[in-house]
Amino acid sequence: MDDASFLPAFPFAAANLMLVGAVLLCGLAAGQVFVRFLRLPRITGFVAAGLLLGPAVLNLIDQTMLNELSIFVDISLGLILFELGRRLDFRWLMRDRWLLASSVAESLLSFLLVFATLRLFNVGGVYAATAAAIAMATSPAVLLMVIHDRRAKGPLTERMLALTALNNVFAFLLITLLFGFVHLEYKANWVKAVAHPLYMIFGSIVLGYLAFMIARWLARWLGKREDAQFAMLLGLIVTTVGFAISFKLSVLLALLAFGVFVKNQDRDHDLMAVEFGPGAQFFFVVLFVITGAGLQLSELAVAGVVGAAFVVARLAGKLVGLMMFAPLSGLSQNKAALLAVGMVPMSAIAVVMVQGASALYPEFGARLSAIVLSAVVILELVGPLATQWSLTRAGETEEAARQPEPKQ
Amino acid sequence: MSLEFTNSDAFTMGVELELMILSTHDWDLMRGAEDLLALIEKVEHPGEIKPEITESMIEISTSVHRDYREMLAELEAIRDTVLTQAQRLNLAISGGGAHPFQHWAEQRIFPKERFFHLHEMYGYLAKQFTVFGQHIHIGVSCGDDAVYLTHVISRYIPHFIALSASSPFSQGIDTAFDSSRLNNINAFPLSGTMPFVKDWADFNAYFDSMRDLQVVESMKDFYWDIRPKPEFGTIEIRVCDTPLTVRKAAMIGAYAQALARHLMLDRPHEPSLDVYRVYSFNRFTACRYGLDAGFIDAHSRERRTLKEDIAVTLKTLAPHAAALGSGAALAEISGGLESAQNDSSWLRETYRSTGALSDVVRLQSGRWSNE
Repeated sequence: MDDASFLPAFPFAAANLMLVGAVLLCGLAAGQVFVRFLRLPRITGFVAAGLLLGPAVLNLIDQTMLNELSIFVDISLGLILFELGRRLDFRWLMRDRWLLASSVAESLLSFLLVFATLRLFNVGGVYAATAAAIAMATSPAVLLMVIHDRRAKGPLTERMLALTALNNVFAFLLITLLFGFVHLEYKANWVKAVAHPLYMIFGSIVLGYLAFMIARWLARWLGKREDAQFAMLLGLIVTTVGFAISFKLSVLLALLAFGVFVKNQDRDHDLMAVEFGPGAQFFFVVLFVITGAGLQLSELAVAGVVGAAFVVARLAGKLVGLMMFAPLSGLSQNKAALLAVGMVPMSAIAVVMVQGASALYPEFGARLSAIVLSAVVILELVGPLATQWSLTRAGETEEAARQPEPKQ
Repeated sequence: MSLEFTNSDAFTMGVELELMILSTHDWDLMRGAEDLLALIEKVEHPGEIKPEITESMIEISTSVHRDYREMLAELEAIRDTVLTQAQRLNLAISGGGAHPFQHWAEQRIFPKERFFHLHEMYGYLAKQFTVFGQHIHIGVSCGDDAVYLTHVISRYIPHFIALSASSPFSQGIDTAFDSSRLNNINAFPLSGTMPFVKDWADFNAYFDSMRDLQVVESMKDFYWDIRPKPEFGTIEIRVCDTPLTVRKAAMIGAYAQALARHLMLDRPHEPSLDVYRVYSFNRFTACRYGLDAGFIDAHSRERRTLKEDIAVTLKTLAPHAAALGSGAALAEISGGLESAQNDSSWLRETYRSTGALSDVVRLQSGRWSNE
């Protein structure tokens, strides 16, 4: 017998726990530094911490560790997409049809302008289309985190969430359909090209619906207790993420569908609108640190110009699309512009989508990464700032609440 | 410089209602007054729609009416205007005297000089003033009548409290009060009742001395339960919670109108300090117990329940209601007395059956919208 076996030995038995804890603490610290000393958004701090710790700079979190932590990314995104789905209110869309029109316009224009820009840079058709589809979606993670962090509340915030929910739906559907073309690009047969997108779309929606049915049934049984319903929803969200991965469905679409069904199909109002407040903070921090760690500055060097053009084209699409329909929704041009700026973030979801594509055809993923990820680097750092600025300008964050000194 | 009292037609009336602006996501109060008012500004509508002290409130007011059915029709039209525009922003609107679970500290002062001034002066009280009341204006022909009517109608203040009460929940708990809202108003230094002045000249002397002492600048600084409103030529009854429906708001307006007609024409009582001696007690029990409250009649020195006193009053008012065309409204009030049900009872019952305050707000908003 080894007499020293009660002493710790390398590699540490619980290295993963230490890692997660350390990631969390570093992220929190960086967030605090950014808010207090640099007056920048907390999220930018989380991302910067990840970038610093990750392969790009210090390599304290390496690629294997990132893979091990991917479960947290999945759960975090599940939570966020579910929350986003609950912001898609079909009754609102029926009452203000210009809201849907402006959403279609901004999504379509972002897609077209980014696609055209990438084609100008001689990017191949399917790559350009997939990258442009990714460009349609606003990051719900950044949006929800900024709203939560700055305690933003108001009509512009609500509209931004609804438009984000919509452009995510459009992006998911389009990207999934484009998978068909990717199959064809790589000489797969027609059946696969048609069946795969259909399986993913309908399978994910059915999974979301099943989760909703179970949630409603459990909520009836648990009663109107916020803590119990919170734990139940969290459990179901994690389970649904697990099923989506196992069945090779879209985690994003399934969870978004789950949220949408909860918002629109819960006719007896059994489910409460529980806040994922302090508990969700943990997932947010880990998500953004890992996202930051996944960023590669080298991408920026290689495809910096394309990335910058991508960012500009995307913003132009959102601006024009939203301002076009603003008067019909009773929105001033100023507010429409603030909406477009607030919807600039494009982040973790894009990374996940790129990873989805990589798993399918590694070569395709690699080529797409080069295009998209340079834009992601730029938007990941600038996006939170844009959202925070926009919501503050609209007078809906806490900063905006600081009242002028009344005249004596 | 004394206050000029505008003479208006006796027994005309108008009401003001403060309303909640709600999120349809979690049914909490929602900052939205500015955007909502911007939309409303662009459409034609009757009455007036204005901001209130915090950004989740909005105030609607009717024009001057003699017939309560016309007033109700106008209230319905204003309600529908507000609703249509609110729905474009995905906001909900509701009646009720207090939001059941909002946190007052989260409320935001509406950006207007007067409201910033109030916030600066009253501190947290200004934000706690995020409560929702109905104000009833009754026309009087001169300042002396205004002083007289204010004194004699004071006896009936508990009636208005119990009939309109709709704020049983506050800050997430059942307060045990039918109207918890009035407790928020008691905290203000110039709340309470008008002093025992005998006529308009006497009132003016009082007002001038208060202004010379720099206690007040204008009539707006008095937060009395009933106050003369010289520029409108009315007295303003301010104790009512905003009811859950415009129908009820119009009914309570009609009750005030018939009561004023009775008090001015029949002159059953002379102004009496005795009324003010029992005033706070009667007011408190009405807030606490609603229609089942005990009531002390200062004139007869008898004690009865509030609903009994209202029933007796309604009988006296019958000829006046007939003259004013509001018999149906008063009959409806009478019909509701037996079961002692008011809007607070409905809110409590809704909470019992749903188990969540957010459901209560959702359903009360549906009730306001006439769904």
